[in-house]
Amino acid sequence: MAFFSRFWGVRGSIPTPGKRTYRYGGNTSCVEVRVNDTLFICDGGTGLRELGNDIMSRGGGPITAHMFFSHMHWDHIQGFPFFVPAYVPSNTLYIYGTRDGDKRFHRLLSGQMSSSYFPVDFAALGGKIAPADLGVHGTKAIDGVQVSCLRVHHPGGSYAYSFEWNGHKLVYATDNELDQMLQDKEQPVREPNALRRLPRDLIDFCRGADLLIADGQYTDAEYPSKVGWGHARCTTVVDLAIQAQVKELAIYHHDPMHSDEEVDKVISMCRARATGFESDVFIFAAREGLEIRIDRD
Amino acid sequence: MEDTVEGRLEFQKTEAHDISLLPTRLLRRPHMLQLIAGGDQPRTISLGNDPVTIGRSNSADVRIMSADLSRQHAMIERTAWGYRIVDLGSRNGVYVNEVRAHSCVLRDGDTVQLGNVVLIYLEGN
Repeated sequence: MAFFSRFWGVRGSIPTPGKRTYRYGGNTSCVEVRVNDTLFICDGGTGLRELGNDIMSRGGGPITAHMFFSHMHWDHIQGFPFFVPAYVPSNTLYIYGTRDGDKRFHRLLSGQMSSSYFPVDFAALGGKIAPADLGVHGTKAIDGVQVSCLRVHHPGGSYAYSFEWNGHKLVYATDNELDQMLQDKEQPVREPNALRRLPRDLIDFCRGADLLIADGQYTDAEYPSKVGWGHARCTTVVDLAIQAQVKELAIYHHDPMHSDEEVDKVISMCRARATGFESDVFIFAAREGLEIRIDRD
Repeated sequence: MEDTVEGRLEFQKTEAHDISLLPTRLLRRPHMLQLIAGGDQPRTISLGNDPVTIGRSNSADVRIMSADLSRQHAMIERTAWGYRIVDLGSRNGVYVNEVRAHSCVLRDGDTVQLGNVVLIYLEGN
């Protein structure tokens, strides 16, 4: 009986292979969440291909996966056509919409597998790939795990998801321009060292999480030229973690322009900010191949 | 052309050698863990194809005498993505670059901490 998450892709926007991104990895967004034998997958960026290969090597019987997408931008769906379990007839993949009867993600995901974009048609996939949803209230118990969603701020819309089991909680909140959700958007410039107030519903959604995986793509210096692109100042993510009393914060969706060394600098900035508020939230950079046990306390 | 070594070499025929006999294996350095604190350092643990367990038990492949270590504390295994360390349910956990990990694919220069035992992971060539 255990609750794990594992990073398979941590980059934002576009895959970035090469020596300068070797340590944190170059694949785009994909996180595996496992609670006992139940498999959840958050996003299907190019990291999903690696996850699929690993799943196939684990052996065992038919696979059922519950797939949650933050949104349908390329860096969150491009791994799906290369996800080998989707081609195996005995496997079942549920593609979740966020509300009752919402099949939008299932429809859009299948749309990228038409001949204009990809040689294999969605209909030719051997596995059962079915739409599912989180019900009228955007929350549902799946094999004893309470999965909930919250709409966040990103061009075209994006969703955060929480997974709660046995008193433990993981929140996956990528592609979220927190700085556009601030109660006072000018505050970071006027008072850069003051705690930035975020919406109550977002804080409550993340409250008490053992692990918050959150988009912290830009530094304070970079953000002013990226306003409206849908990603947060890393330091504002720290403020969210502090206000929500999160235990651990994984900075995620690393900027493709950031080398490993620059990601380290982002983490240093984040830790310095948390220290400044006397917070004991532990902050680290998400990296490919890192697996965290969520229910270890 | 002057009668020098360089001059003679320029007009000499190239000699044929069986290069498979040359000791290139000696130039290869394996992936390894270097124990730098908390045990009987300095000590180097070479990594190969077989999984390696680390702990304070006699039955661990790599025995490190430290009260902070569980009997079977962690395992290092070779995977398609590189060497991966896995916590075997230890009391004091596995930390990679300060992050508490259930498992982690290691990269050159990573610091692995098992209780007070500190190791550095170095990739070979």
